[in-house]
Amino acid sequence: MRLVTLPVVFTALLATPTTVLALWPIPKTLQTGSTPLKLSSNFKININIPHAPSDLHAAVQRTITHLKTDNLQRLVKDRGAADLKAIHQHTTHTLSSLTLSLSGSHTSAAAAVTSIAEEAVKPIGTRSEGYTVHVPADGSPATITANSTLGLFRGLTTFEQLWYTSAGGQVYTLESPVEITDFPSVPDGVDLGKPYRGLMLDTSRNFFPVKDIKRTLDAMSMAKINTLHWHATDSQSFPLQIPGFTEISAMGAYGPDMVFTPSDIKDIVSYAGERGIDVVVEIDTPGHTAIISESHPEHIACLQAVPWSDFANEPPAGQLRLASPATANFTADLLSAAAKLFASSLFSTGGDELNSNCYVHDAETQKMLNATGRTLEQALDAFTQTTHGALRKLGKTPVVWEEMVLDHNVTLSNDTVVMVWISSMNAAAVAKKNFRIVHAPSDFFYLDCGAGEWIGADPTGNSWCDPFKTWQKSYTFDPLANISAANAHLVLGGEQLLWAEQSSPANLDSIVWPRAASSAEVFWTGATLPDGSPRAINGAAGALPRLHDLRYRMVQRGINAIPLQPHWCAVRPGVCDLTA
Amino acid sequence: MVIVVFLCLLILAPFPSSLGLWPIPRGLSAGTATVKLSSSFDIHVAFNNVPADLDDAIHRIKTHLKTDTFERLVVGRGSADANSVHRAFSIKDLTLSLTQNVTIRPVAVEVNTVGIEDRDESYILTIPAKGTQATLVANSTLGLFRGLSTFDFMWYHFDGEKYILNAPLRITDSPAFPYRGFSFDTSRNFYPVSDIKRTLDAMSWVKLNVLYWHIADSQAFPLQVAAFPELAARGAYSQEEIYTESDIKSVVKYANERGIDVVMELDTPGHTTAIGMAHPEHIACFAKSPWTKYANEPPAGQLRIASADTVNFAKKLFQSAIDLLDGTMMSSGGDEVNLPCWNEDEDTLAALEQNNQTIAQALDQFVQEVQGVMNANGKMPFIKSDMVLEHNVTVLNNTGVVVWKSSLDAVSVAQRGLRFIHQPSNYFYLDCGAGDWVGNNVLGNSWCDPFKTWQRAYSFDPYANLTTDQQHLVLGGQMPIWSEQSSSENLDQIVWPRLAAGAEVFWTGATLPDGNPRLGVNATSGVNAFARLNEVRYRLVDRGVKAIALQPKWCALRPGLCDVDS
Repeated sequence: MRLVTLPVVFTALLATPTTVLALWPIPKTLQTGSTPLKLSSNFKININIPHAPSDLHAAVQRTITHLKTDNLQRLVKDRGAADLKAIHQHTTHTLSSLTLSLSGSHTSAAAAVTSIAEEAVKPIGTRSEGYTVHVPADGSPATITANSTLGLFRGLTTFEQLWYTSAGGQVYTLESPVEITDFPSVPDGVDLGKPYRGLMLDTSRNFFPVKDIKRTLDAMSMAKINTLHWHATDSQSFPLQIPGFTEISAMGAYGPDMVFTPSDIKDIVSYAGERGIDVVVEIDTPGHTAIISESHPEHIACLQAVPWSDFANEPPAGQLRLASPATANFTADLLSAAAKLFASSLFSTGGDELNSNCYVHDAETQKMLNATGRTLEQALDAFTQTTHGALRKLGKTPVVWEEMVLDHNVTLSNDTVVMVWISSMNAAAVAKKNFRIVHAPSDFFYLDCGAGEWIGADPTGNSWCDPFKTWQKSYTFDPLANISAANAHLVLGGEQLLWAEQSSPANLDSIVWPRAASSAEVFWTGATLPDGSPRAINGAAGALPRLHDLRYRMVQRGINAIPLQPHWCAVRPGVCDLTA
Repeated sequence: MVIVVFLCLLILAPFPSSLGLWPIPRGLSAGTATVKLSSSFDIHVAFNNVPADLDDAIHRIKTHLKTDTFERLVVGRGSADANSVHRAFSIKDLTLSLTQNVTIRPVAVEVNTVGIEDRDESYILTIPAKGTQATLVANSTLGLFRGLSTFDFMWYHFDGEKYILNAPLRITDSPAFPYRGFSFDTSRNFYPVSDIKRTLDAMSWVKLNVLYWHIADSQAFPLQVAAFPELAARGAYSQEEIYTESDIKSVVKYANERGIDVVMELDTPGHTTAIGMAHPEHIACFAKSPWTKYANEPPAGQLRIASADTVNFAKKLFQSAIDLLDGTMMSSGGDEVNLPCWNEDEDTLAALEQNNQTIAQALDQFVQEVQGVMNANGKMPFIKSDMVLEHNVTVLNNTGVVVWKSSLDAVSVAQRGLRFIHQPSNYFYLDCGAGDWVGNNVLGNSWCDPFKTWQRAYSFDPYANLTTDQQHLVLGGQMPIWSEQSSSENLDQIVWPRLAAGAEVFWTGATLPDGNPRLGVNATSGVNAFARLNEVRYRLVDRGVKAIALQPKWCALRPGLCDVDS
């Protein structure tokens, strides 16, 4: 027995704010009541869809499990103890079931319904992620309706976040009835289903096992993030095992147990797809490729040239010999073979931080350029057309980093997606060139910044992109800043990114979560809250209490998300504000 | 003749990068022969009446030798050494002995009954290149424990073998500073006992010897004490987030058996709001708004130091905590007291008037009273530097001062002739650089930006700005984690391996075993400290401590190739 005496009756001096409906991202439209509602211990979810795909059944089962096991107590001072009185009133109704159905033409369709995984990998602009949730206050069945199984899945994710669990194990809400009509925001307000809401993970600088990636996919789906941008390879290691090119990972991975086999990749892609997530793989070229030399030294220029700082942005130096037709063909074949492992319509060929000095000092490259009379830029253009041409034959749309558009004279087709990373200020310039944009700015979205220099013999060095990007900083990102109204349609969305020089499975969850959920709300909810007011960060009604809720729910699900504040503050929304 | 010279060169050469000892011993001679542990390897103790905690330590090491799978950080990992391991001589036995005429006492007793400056942590460890017998000699079981820690954390694994590449090895070692700590805040967010114990294990592997336990603060009071059980019952975050009396004893015992002292800090008179959950009568400006006027962080609230009842309460609280604690040290904290909190508190103003005291006099008296309790119980009292430097309170001569605001404050403390430990926020705070956690401060960064890199902590000079005469006042130092943005979820990651930087600063001191300065040119090069710290990190991960990566693995496998100038 810990508790011995309770001598003094304590009077609460702090007002407890009203409940916070802990939805993240917050839906586009939302109406809630103030009636308590219990969830039945025999709660069932009915799928009112003929020939429902198996991944929808699986998603429903996961929702049932989450409702039973989340065991999240409400983030108020007494963790919901006072709620018991409300939910144990004899008048409190019990919700026994939820029915999922497809709206519109789908209802009578005899044909098989498309699976979540198939919907998730449709080209951006053709997906339907919207849904409605209706939870009556009187205990009559709740409903989720959508135009697609993907929309139903998003609705299930929202439904899971409506509920808390009391100390006695009762699952309940205090805010029925609930009416939600939700869909991802689009910056230009026109093109439904367009937004790209991503997380980038670098699995080259340090390796992450499949189970870490799957746990990350689970966490992403909680925040309705729909794209894993998988920066799979780089100069330090090449963990992708690609049929026809297995020697690259055999010699270039960190070890035989640090390889993603084709079956691992298939596993990841299907796991992601079932959770509404598209996996956009990146094999970064022509820079960031030194490790390919372990098996193919003939394709790499300036391999481990020193000092590395003259030849690369980080060690080791080494880039594909882009002027060599053999290397261009090798790369095109490699990317094609890799692309076949992925269901996505997008494939990233990277293209950041190309170092021209590397080629100036590479005799092979100079010989090729002299023989063909081409400049390096012309060779890069030809190289890119070769690799992108190969991907297009497979129906893939190329994705590149911003330098390919802003720093180099490379011919790119108009539908190429350009990721802006160096600075948020560069998005406007990309838009002016009429390319579609994914925001990945280092000054807002880099999760790795602020942890100090990892380069040796630099005793006072801080990270190049200091300071640490707080969730608040990410949350303030404006996707349309400096972009003209005419170009707004080019903004697909954005992503937060983890470069893994100082990260590994040991800190994956803690460096990513809950910060990476910031951009999920930026790109799902957009600029306006359901009540019409602008999105705000703080105060009892702001984003922080809801982000706390997401963090605590993640911890309940085994994701080691960091606390954003002392627990004292988390259970007293607004009281730890600067102005409180 | 040629052969002799050659051997000398081998033995006197600077310690090789393939010898990943951390902290690097103060005396070290190493060769280049590979030796491995025999399959029948055992550890023997050459004296009778072996204390149980020393025996337990030996068993833990024997377990590690079976379960560790850390392979040397080199391209190819362990397979790179396969040939030399195959041919290597086998060590069959490590024998522990004590020098003549010492009293054999448990490790825990050496830690919790001997003053911090009077302990003997020295040891001599030898591992022959061609013999079969390794030896460890010390003047105390604590010294043997430190030597065992060295032995425990030095072997490479490959293909079922444990080996090193640097025999013969002779280590003559002792700490440069007696106090090498870690300050742990378990109030802002709670950590289960299992997290504390895992942290203690890791601390012992790098020879840290003090857990400075900032157990309670304004946000939560998780400490259960017999005199006032209601403090935890009402002030802890929940009934599950309490350190019971048996938890406290268990943590202290676990620590002491690992050569680690527990210095509990009961931070007073500020940082005490949570006491008001059970005893509002003792707290001024309880959760008063705006908190920025009354405290450095929310919630506001401080002990009513002018009230005789509150002083008596505090004394009983200290006594009740002391009753749980073995050890020779304790802290009353004392940082960041806020004057407007008291100046606007009617009870405090009335008490001051009644006593005809100023608030400064009341503070002075309060500190003397709680120090008196610690002193009467044989505890060396510690106090935060602002009490001495800003409030000029009277402290006992044997007080240890925790210098925290700035490394530059150390000189001022030294000028008062007080002993102190370094805990400078500008070098050692593990929590800095993760952004502001206070709400509604949209673009706020942490008050102590930037992040304190391991390189920054490693560059700390404990004697900076001190005269030679003042150097004896430096007991050592500690890196703290303040837990506003930390919890069980990220404890290992935010602490390790950075905390090890502080361990080497205060164990090894200014000079490397080869006589060169520790902070010489390229100290943090991948071929120097960085290589050894990478090893620490991978060894920690191998043992289940989630230490962060300091570099891409490509760099960790290629010492020096990722230096700024390589």
